[in-house]
Amino acid sequence: MENQEKQFRLNVTRRHFLTKAGLGFGSAALGSMLFKDQLFGVDQQQTIPLGLAQYAPKAKRIIYLFQNGAPSQLETFDYKPLLNKMHGEELPASIRMGQRLTGMTANQEKFPLVGSTFGFSQHGQSGAWISELFPNIASIADDICIVKTMNTEAINHDPALTFFQTGAQQGNRPSMGAWMSYGLGSENSNLPSYTVLLSRGRGNGQGVYSKLWTNGFLDSVHQGVVFSSGEDPVLYLKNPEGHDKQSRRDMLDQLAKFNSEAFENFGDPEINTRIKQYEMSYRMQSAVPELTDLSKESDTTIKLYGPDCLVPGTYAANCLLARKLSESGVRFVQLYHQGWDTHGNLANDMRMQAEDVDRASAGLIKDLKQRGLLDETLVIWGGEFGRTNYCQGKIDVANYGRDHHPKCFSIWMAGGGIKPGMVYGETDEFGYNPIKDPVSVHDFHATVLHLMGINHEQLTYRHLGRRYRLTDVAGQVVNGIIA
Amino acid sequence: MSRHLFIVSNLLIVLQVFLLVFCFVDLSVLPQLVLFTGRFHPVVLHLPITLILLSIPFSIYLQRNKDAENLSTLFDLLLHYTALISTLTALAGFLLAAEGGYDEESLRFHKWLGVAVAFSTHALVYIKKTFRQRAIVWNTAMTTTLVTMLVGSHYGGSLTHGEGFFTFNADPKPSIAVATFTDKTTVFDGAVQPILAAKCVECHNDQKTKGGLNMKNLSSMMKGGKSGSMWVAGDPEKSPMVERLLLDMDDKKHMPPKGKAQLSAAEILLFQEWIRAGANPKTTYHSLPDTNVLRTIVAKIIKDVPVPKLEKTYSFSAASTSTIETLNSPFRRILPLSSTSPALSVKFYLKEKYDLNMLKECKSIASQIIEVNLSSMPADDNAIPVLSSFENIERINLNGTLISGKNLNILKANKQLEQISLASTSVGLPMMDALGNMPNLKKVFLWNTSITEADIAGLRKKYPKVGWDLGYIPDKNELLKLTIPRFLDADKRIFGPDELIAFKTQMKGVQIRYTTDGSPPDSLSSTLYTKPFPATGMMRIKAISVAQGWKTSDTADNTFFLKGFKPDSIRMINPPDKQYKGQGALTLTDLVKGSSGNLNVNWLGFRDNSFKAGIYFSKGEEIKEILLSTVESVDGYVMPAKKIIVKGGESPGSMKVLKTLVPEQPKEKRRKHLIPFVIPVEKKKYKYIEIEATTVNVLPKWHPGKGDKGWVFVDEVFFY
Repeated sequence: MENQEKQFRLNVTRRHFLTKAGLGFGSAALGSMLFKDQLFGVDQQQTIPLGLAQYAPKAKRIIYLFQNGAPSQLETFDYKPLLNKMHGEELPASIRMGQRLTGMTANQEKFPLVGSTFGFSQHGQSGAWISELFPNIASIADDICIVKTMNTEAINHDPALTFFQTGAQQGNRPSMGAWMSYGLGSENSNLPSYTVLLSRGRGNGQGVYSKLWTNGFLDSVHQGVVFSSGEDPVLYLKNPEGHDKQSRRDMLDQLAKFNSEAFENFGDPEINTRIKQYEMSYRMQSAVPELTDLSKESDTTIKLYGPDCLVPGTYAANCLLARKLSESGVRFVQLYHQGWDTHGNLANDMRMQAEDVDRASAGLIKDLKQRGLLDETLVIWGGEFGRTNYCQGKIDVANYGRDHHPKCFSIWMAGGGIKPGMVYGETDEFGYNPIKDPVSVHDFHATVLHLMGINHEQLTYRHLGRRYRLTDVAGQVVNGIIA
Repeated sequence: MSRHLFIVSNLLIVLQVFLLVFCFVDLSVLPQLVLFTGRFHPVVLHLPITLILLSIPFSIYLQRNKDAENLSTLFDLLLHYTALISTLTALAGFLLAAEGGYDEESLRFHKWLGVAVAFSTHALVYIKKTFRQRAIVWNTAMTTTLVTMLVGSHYGGSLTHGEGFFTFNADPKPSIAVATFTDKTTVFDGAVQPILAAKCVECHNDQKTKGGLNMKNLSSMMKGGKSGSMWVAGDPEKSPMVERLLLDMDDKKHMPPKGKAQLSAAEILLFQEWIRAGANPKTTYHSLPDTNVLRTIVAKIIKDVPVPKLEKTYSFSAASTSTIETLNSPFRRILPLSSTSPALSVKFYLKEKYDLNMLKECKSIASQIIEVNLSSMPADDNAIPVLSSFENIERINLNGTLISGKNLNILKANKQLEQISLASTSVGLPMMDALGNMPNLKKVFLWNTSITEADIAGLRKKYPKVGWDLGYIPDKNELLKLTIPRFLDADKRIFGPDELIAFKTQMKGVQIRYTTDGSPPDSLSSTLYTKPFPATGMMRIKAISVAQGWKTSDTADNTFFLKGFKPDSIRMINPPDKQYKGQGALTLTDLVKGSSGNLNVNWLGFRDNSFKAGIYFSKGEEIKEILLSTVESVDGYVMPAKKIIVKGGESPGSMKVLKTLVPEQPKEKRRKHLIPFVIPVEKKKYKYIEIEATTVNVLPKWHPGKGDKGWVFVDEVFFY
C-alpha cells in the first residue's frame, strides 16, 4: 500500500502538482496525513491487508527444492510396467493425441516406448510406488504427498521454469517467492524474506537465470537474494579490514542521511528500498555467520543430509542451509539443482542426480520434523515438466533418453498443511495423459498460496492499468491434497 | 434599460430557445467535447438555488419599501442573472444526462422540473415590472418557482447520492441482502434472489412482464421469456441472462436497460458462478467448501454472511496495535496469526541480542501469546516461569536453548499447551514425567538430547496421549562415503618455497592420508596429514578421507608446482592463435595455472605455428630443470606436442640445443588431463633460453578429426 502510494506520487498528476507546487502547502500536507488513501488513490480493489496472512495459514514458510532440467516421472514416482512390456513398440497415436513435441524429437521417425530401467517398489501406508533410485525419499513416504498429474503448457525449459516460478511463460512477472514476500512480509527482518540457493549436479544441465527470482513489477525488496555457493554465502558482508562495527554503523548512518535527502527531492521509492537494504545488510553481518557456520554440525546431522552437506555449493549443503534459513524465518527458500535434462544417457545421469538429492531431500524433511517445524513449513520437490514415455535417440534396455513432456509429471510436497502419505491423481498406463485429478501450474500456485493463508484471487498488484495475480486468471485450490 | 441588461436579456432569450430545442432532440450524437461541458452541471447548479433564495428577502423588502429605487434596479439585475444561470444549468444538465448512466425515473422528474425553473425565473423578470401593483401574481409566481426549484433539487440529489439519501433511515448503509445465513440458507435465497429483487423485478413482475419474463420467483423464472429460458445450468457462456448482463451498455439487449441501476461486476460474477455450479436452488452457502469461488463471491457481496471459519477462534480480545508495535523490533518479532486473529506469536532473533528481559517485556500481551519461539537463543531455565505466565500459550519452541528442563513442571498450569520442542537441549528422562502429565500436550520433540530409544519406548507406553518424537537416529549398519579431501585454497596450484600446502579441516574424527609419488593412497600406510607442508618441486598429491564408521572417500588427485626463477623478460617468437591468446607471453610466467576444464582462460593455444618462446635472464641463472605445463584434450583436438626442443646459451645468437623430447601420443580417446613436461638440462648459468613445442600437424586415424591439424596448449613455464 505504501509502495503504491509512492508510485502514485512519482507520476505527475494534478494532485502531485497541488502538493508539490505549493498551492496551500499546509493544508495539502495535513490532508495527506489525515486522508492518505483518498488523496493518493490507492487501489481500492486491493481488498486484503498486506504483510499478514488473510486467514490462519497452514504453512508459514516454503522450501522449494526445484529439480531443474525436469526429472523423468517414469523413473521416479510414476510406475508404468506397461512401458517395460511394450518396450520398443510405437507410441499409439490415440495416446499422443497430436501433442506438440519439441524440436529435438519432432523429426524423429519413430516414437518407441521405453520402460524404466530402474525397479519400483511400494512404500508407506499409501503404498506409493517409488523408484529404487530414491531409497531415502521412500523412507519418508508417509510424510509426503506425491502429485502424479502435474501438467504445464510449456514444452521447453525456459518458458516452463518461468511459468512455474512466475505464473506466466514470458517472464517479467514477479516470482512466487516475491509474491509471498509482498503478501506476507518478512518474519525476520535480519534476513531477506526470499533467498535462492543454487547447485549443479553431474547430469546434463540447464541454466537458471535471475529472472526466475525476480520481483517483476513489485518493489525490489521482494527480489530473491542469491546466496553464493562458495565459502562466503553472502559476498561483501564482512567489514573490510581496518573497519570495525562502529565505523560501519557511522558510515551507514551518514549514508542513510544522504539517501533520505535524495528521497525528499526525487521521491523515488527505490531510494527507500536501498536504505532498508543497507540496514538489513548491517544486521545480516550478525545473522548470516550464525547460519552458515558448518563447523558445529553434529555427526547425526551430517549423516542425515549426507557428508556432502559440509561442502558449500552442493545440493546437500543447500538443503541444510535451507533448513537453517527457514528456521530463522525466511519465508521462501528456493533451491535449484541443475542436471536433470536427460535427453540421452538417462540411466547414468539419473543415477548420479538421484545420488546427489535423495539423501539430502529426505534428510531435510526428517530434520524439519524432528524440530517440530514440518507442520509449519511447506516443502516442494519437483521439476518444470516431465519426460516422454518414448525414447529420444538410441534405444537400449539399459540406456536411453527421454524428451520433454508437459502433460503429466510427478512432484511431491510435504508438511505445511499437505495431507501426508498420499498419492494424488492418476495417469494412463502409458504415463502420457492424466486420467484423474489433473493439477495445472495455476492450481498448484493457488494451492500453495492457500496454504500460506492467502486467497490467490485477492493477492493482486496493479500495474500497467490492470491488476495482476500469481495465478493470472485461472487456478483452483486442490482441496484433495490439503490436510 | 441599461446596455448591460439589454445584452443579458437577449442572451437569455437565445439560450432559452436552445433549451427548448434540447427538450426534443437526442443529444447523445453531439461531439464528446460538447457533452463534456455537461460535467459542469454539478458545479453551477448551486447558483440558481442561492439566487432564488436570495430573491425572497429582496421582494419582501421592496414590497414594503416602495421608494427604494436603487435597490429595485439591483433586484432587476439579480432576476436577470437568476434566469440566465438557471438556463445555463439546465442546458448543462441536458448534456450531462446525454452521457447516460442515470435512473430514468428520477431523471425525468429532475429534467422537467429543471426546465420549469429556467422558464419560470425568466417569467419572473417580466412579472417583476408590475410586482408592486399585482402582488398576488408576483407572490404566486415566486412561490411556484421556489417550490419547483426545491423539488427539482431533491430529485437531482437522489440521482447523485442514490434513492433515499434524503429519507431518514436508522440503518445507514442498506445492503442488498437482508437474509441471515443460517445453515439452511441457500445461495439462491440469500444472494441471487435479493439481487434480482433489487435490480430486475421492477420490470419483470406479475404486473409488468417485459419480454414476457417474470422474475418474481424461481418457478416463474424457470418458465423463461419470449426468447427462451434464462440460463443453461452449468454453462454460463451459453446462458442468455449472463450474455445480456455482459453486453455493451449501448446494446439494445443489454440488461438492465441503460439508465436503470446496473449490476456490479461482483454481482455478475455471482450469476456466472452460480450457473456454472449448476444453478441449483438448493445449494446452501455452508455446504460449499471454504475455497469455493461461489462462496467467496457471496461472502464478498453480502455483508452479513459470517466469515468462513478457517481458523480457531479465541475468546480473548486483541492487543492494541500500538502495544505490539512498541514491542516489535528486528530481534523480537510479534506477528498475529492472521490479519483478523487476536492470537500472537513471538519469535526471537540473533543470539547476541537476547536477554531474559526481552521475554519479560512481553507481559503486556501475555494473554494473546499462543506461540513462543526461542530456538537457538541463550535462554535458560529462568525463561520457563515467564513462558508459563502467557496463560493461553499453545506452542513453545526451545530447540537449542540452554534450558535444563528441571522446572518444566511449571508449565502444567498452561492448560492450552499442545506442543513443546526441546531438540538439542540438555533435558533428560527424569523431567519427562512432568510433560507426560500435562493436560493438553500432544507433541514433544526430543531429538539430539540424552533421551534414548529405550526411554522413548517407555514414555510412549506410560503416556500414550503424548506424541514423543525422537527424530532421526543414524543406522549403525549404514556406511556413508566421506567427501574427498579439499585444499584450503581450492585454486592455488603454484607455491613459493616458503608457502605451505594445506588441507581444509574435515569433520571431527576424519583423517586425511596422502601420497606424493602418484601411487594410490590407502588408509594404513600412506602419510597421515597432520599439518601443512611445503611443495618440493612438482608434486602430484593423491589424498583420501578415512574415518571409523564411514566409507573411505574417493581420491583427490592434484598436481602442485613450485615457483622457480623469475625471468627478466619473455617474448613469443611465434604468436598464439587469435582465439587463445591469453595475456600473451605474460601468461607463461604469471603463476596462475590454467585448468583442464576451461581452455579459454590462462592458456595459450597454437595450431598453425608451433609454440616458440625466448626467455631472458639478464644476470644469468643457474638452471638445471625446465617445466613446461601443457594439456591434452582429445575431443578438443588438443594433443601433446609432437616434439619439444629446448635451446640455451648467452644470447639468441649463441645457443645450443639442450634437450629434445618426443612426447608419447595417445592411442585412443581418453579423459582431458594436464601434461607437465619436466625437462632436465645441463646445470649451468644461462642468459637466454628458447623453447619450441611443435604441433601434431596430422591427427591420427582413430581420431574423429583424422587428418586435421592438432593444437598445442601451454599455460606456464617454470625454471629451477
